[in-house]
Amino acid sequence: MKKVILVLTFLWALFGTNLVGGDSALTHVTFVPQWVPQAQFAGYMMAFEKGFYKNVGLDVEILRGGPANPPLESLKSGLATFCTAWISTAVQQRAAGLKLVNLAQIVQRSALMLIAKKSSGINTLNNLDGRRIGLWQGDFRIQPLALFKMRHLDVIEIPMYSTVNLFLKGGVDAISAMWYNEYHTLLNSGFNQDELTTFFFSDYGLNFPEDGIYCLEKTLNENPKVCESFVQASLKGWIYALDHQDETLDVVMSYADAAHTGTNRAHQMWMLARMKDLIYPNGEKSLLGKLDQKQYELVTKTLQSLQLIDKQPLFTDFYRGRQ
Amino acid sequence: MRKRFRSSIAFKLALFVLCGSVAVFSIVLLYSYVYSRQIILDEAKGKALNLALAMSRKIEQQFIAVGKLPKSLAGFLESSAFDQKTLFSVMKRMVSDNSEIYGMAVAFQPYAFDLKTQAYAPYFYKTGQGLQFCELGTPKYDYFQQDWFHIPIELKAPVPSEPYFDEGGGNILMVTYSFPFFYNSDDGKRMEVRGVATADVDLAWLSKLIEDMNESQKGFSFVITDTGVFVSYPIFDYVMKESLFSLAESHHDPRLREIGRQILHSNNGFLDAGTSFSPEDSFLAYSKILSTGWTFASIFPKDELFAEVSRLHRANFLLSLVGIGLLALLAVLVARSIAKPLTEMAMATKKIAVGDLNIELDAVHRTDEVGILAQSFTQMADGLKERDFIRDAFGRYVTQEVVNRLLNSHDGLKLGGEIREISMMMSDIRGFTALTANMKPEDIITLLNRYLGEMVDILLDFRGIIDEIIGDGILSFFGAPEPLEDHPERAVACALKMQQAMAEINTRNMVDGLPMLEMGIAVNTGSVVVGNIGSDKRVKYGAVGPDVNFTGRMESFSVGGQVLVSQSTYERLSSILVVKNILEVEMKGFEHKVKLYDVSGIRGKYRIALRDRDEIFKVLANPLTITYFQLSQKTVSSKGTLGTLREVSQREASIVCAEPLALWGNIRIILHGKHEQISKAIIYAKVISVDDANDVYHVKVHFTSVSSQAMDILEKAVCD
Repeated sequence: MKKVILVLTFLWALFGTNLVGGDSALTHVTFVPQWVPQAQFAGYMMAFEKGFYKNVGLDVEILRGGPANPPLESLKSGLATFCTAWISTAVQQRAAGLKLVNLAQIVQRSALMLIAKKSSGINTLNNLDGRRIGLWQGDFRIQPLALFKMRHLDVIEIPMYSTVNLFLKGGVDAISAMWYNEYHTLLNSGFNQDELTTFFFSDYGLNFPEDGIYCLEKTLNENPKVCESFVQASLKGWIYALDHQDETLDVVMSYADAAHTGTNRAHQMWMLARMKDLIYPNGEKSLLGKLDQKQYELVTKTLQSLQLIDKQPLFTDFYRGRQ
Repeated sequence: MRKRFRSSIAFKLALFVLCGSVAVFSIVLLYSYVYSRQIILDEAKGKALNLALAMSRKIEQQFIAVGKLPKSLAGFLESSAFDQKTLFSVMKRMVSDNSEIYGMAVAFQPYAFDLKTQAYAPYFYKTGQGLQFCELGTPKYDYFQQDWFHIPIELKAPVPSEPYFDEGGGNILMVTYSFPFFYNSDDGKRMEVRGVATADVDLAWLSKLIEDMNESQKGFSFVITDTGVFVSYPIFDYVMKESLFSLAESHHDPRLREIGRQILHSNNGFLDAGTSFSPEDSFLAYSKILSTGWTFASIFPKDELFAEVSRLHRANFLLSLVGIGLLALLAVLVARSIAKPLTEMAMATKKIAVGDLNIELDAVHRTDEVGILAQSFTQMADGLKERDFIRDAFGRYVTQEVVNRLLNSHDGLKLGGEIREISMMMSDIRGFTALTANMKPEDIITLLNRYLGEMVDILLDFRGIIDEIIGDGILSFFGAPEPLEDHPERAVACALKMQQAMAEINTRNMVDGLPMLEMGIAVNTGSVVVGNIGSDKRVKYGAVGPDVNFTGRMESFSVGGQVLVSQSTYERLSSILVVKNILEVEMKGFEHKVKLYDVSGIRGKYRIALRDRDEIFKVLANPLTITYFQLSQKTVSSKGTLGTLREVSQREASIVCAEPLALWGNIRIILHGKHEQISKAIIYAKVISVDDANDVYHVKVHFTSVSSQAMDILEKAVCD
């Protein structure tokens, strides 16, 4: 018994002084996902809940994301040590001079899509010509605009915000949507799959990877071990979440309820299942966490063509995750 | 027993009634069940729909009422010039005057309030501390992106927002009514949208309304949005989280999804919700709240709905069971009341079959068909009894065979006849008249009945037909009316049997002190006419013809204990007859002597033999003097002749006389005492042989009757 206490005292002396706040034996870091708590971030929740972060010596504080907390802003301001972000957003920021790095690419394929009601006569991409299309603002516009440009479609762009209600009430003919989120919201608003026409950007040469883990280059240079640990535990969290979906859903729902997001389990179940499709594209698990250079270049080229960036950031500068 | 029961009328009738009534009751029950269920269902459907419609209208009116405020605010903003101060005072008054209104905002398009202000959206709302003001036009909130602003602007139409929980406590459900207002052209035409006037409506009243309803209702009600999300539901946790579709998905209930789609795509309806909403099988009635696009819906458990019908049908079912039971019981009773007399009659029939006609049936007192049947049955038995009586009575006068023929054949009574070969038999008591001359009439009848009774029995045994009984003589024949191939054999056998029977009769006679009887029989075979002879009034079945007469004459040649058979009969039976003696006699109408065969036995199937009749003669030590008279045609000649009786046996005697006597003639002998005739010592006899020896005639006679005095004298003479 005495021996144990002696060992603990030794450990305290060794690490305790280096650490800031919280659990004195762990390194405190903050993490902000792009959006409100939902299955899109199940991996991080499970890493936290299952103690994977603690196991690698991290005391992770998960902040609530959403429109009020733009993740990259939080990085810049130092509010968050780590964040998730779309690659298109991150590349633009990097190109604009923000020294951030991709530590891991989680979502390997694009879940962004356009959805129209078949009843409105839209069955092919060309049918979108001249139609009112609700598009999310910001980086969600990149792929649609690239597509419309490629296909020479002249559409009436209507800004779209957080809900699909404008579409439901007939204010627009098509909307942008995430496969794992709004598409299911529409299905559970009473539309059957065969009543909707869907256009996945991944099917039209615009298969952008999406969520990745980012931090400032400075953070990586100063605490490579912490960054590595965070990524390692997060990936472990994802593996666990995708392997234990029921347990994970319980956790996701508790997070969502705490945030009053008004979601339901069926929706989160769909989302988690889709995340698995997106993280393990075609069931391929070996790509977990990796950013493919070709896909990176597809993103940078597209951004360049749309004149959203001047020059492409070097892949090796941008991506600092697993090779 | 069980098998018998199964095949009994009672069982069958009960089974038929049971099956029939089960079938009928089932059909009636099923029909009434289906029909009354349908009625209840139709009624319930109507009621439920009406309830849903009424409720949705009620909610609708409330929405319209609160919706009027942002509408009138929008109207005010369109119609008049205003500054911040007037705007604020109008808004404040509206919020504080209306209890359902939580807050109101007027949100302008960018630079639409004035050209300096990008975002301008004053908001007044109620708090515990009274009315509060807040400017929504901050970069952080960015009202331009909010549905309540964005959607009515895009649609250029008033839109109620999705319900949401208030920011503060999270438990008060709110909905925001947004009315866009427009720039007006000089001529009053609407142009661009300038902004949106909104009212935040507390939905507590709606929740309360539904809650109150749910407390008084067996099922429950709920409200959903136009995307199927629950605005109000007994499970509070579902509100604004779950929708019909999310429930359908997490409960793997495709039917619920279909119900959801049906609700969203129609204004009202009534449908079978199964167990999608509650464990109980239920119906669902719904009606759209048009101003919001939401839907009010009510769940009605079927059990509750059909409880009354179910109770009624349980009662009906039980009553039917009792009814069926009673019917079956009744059927058994009725069947028994029919079957019992039938069984009784069947037993009676069996009795009748064995000849017992004394039947008594209980059912004869009944007035129904069974009674009629029993009465007829009894009548039939009575009829049979009568017929038997007639047959019996008739048979005593007429031979049974003739009776049968008369009764069984329609031609039986027809006059006329046919020529048929038959065998005839004539029998006669020897010396009956003489024997009975001094007897009391009753004794004569006893004697005669005993004799005739025995003879008739034997005759009937041999299927002989009695043609006539004249006193002690019987004429009978064989082979008619029913043809009998062996009639000669039967006739002879019968005759022999009759002779045998005489011994027994005589034994009885002796016991009774009656005289011994001797009988002679003649049997003849020939073709005669047989048939109904007589007139319509009186008919006799008999035989006529020369051979009949011939038989009578033959008989007169017989002595007691003898069976004489004619040539024609003999010829048919020569191989089986035992002939003791052949008599050759002269007969009227025959040129030559006629041969008669004295038969003492018959072989073949009857095998009858008469005891040897050979007489043992005793020579009298003192021959008796006699006077004899020749008899002809039963009259006695007045002239007596003297003779001597030398020898005597049991039945015969040898007489010596000086005059010849006719062979086969009958004589009367009076025995003499020592000196004179003894008038009562009389013997009748038949001459059976005559020997002529130098004018002295030795005559052998066979006694036909011997008076007791004569018997005494003969016995004494033998003893001397």
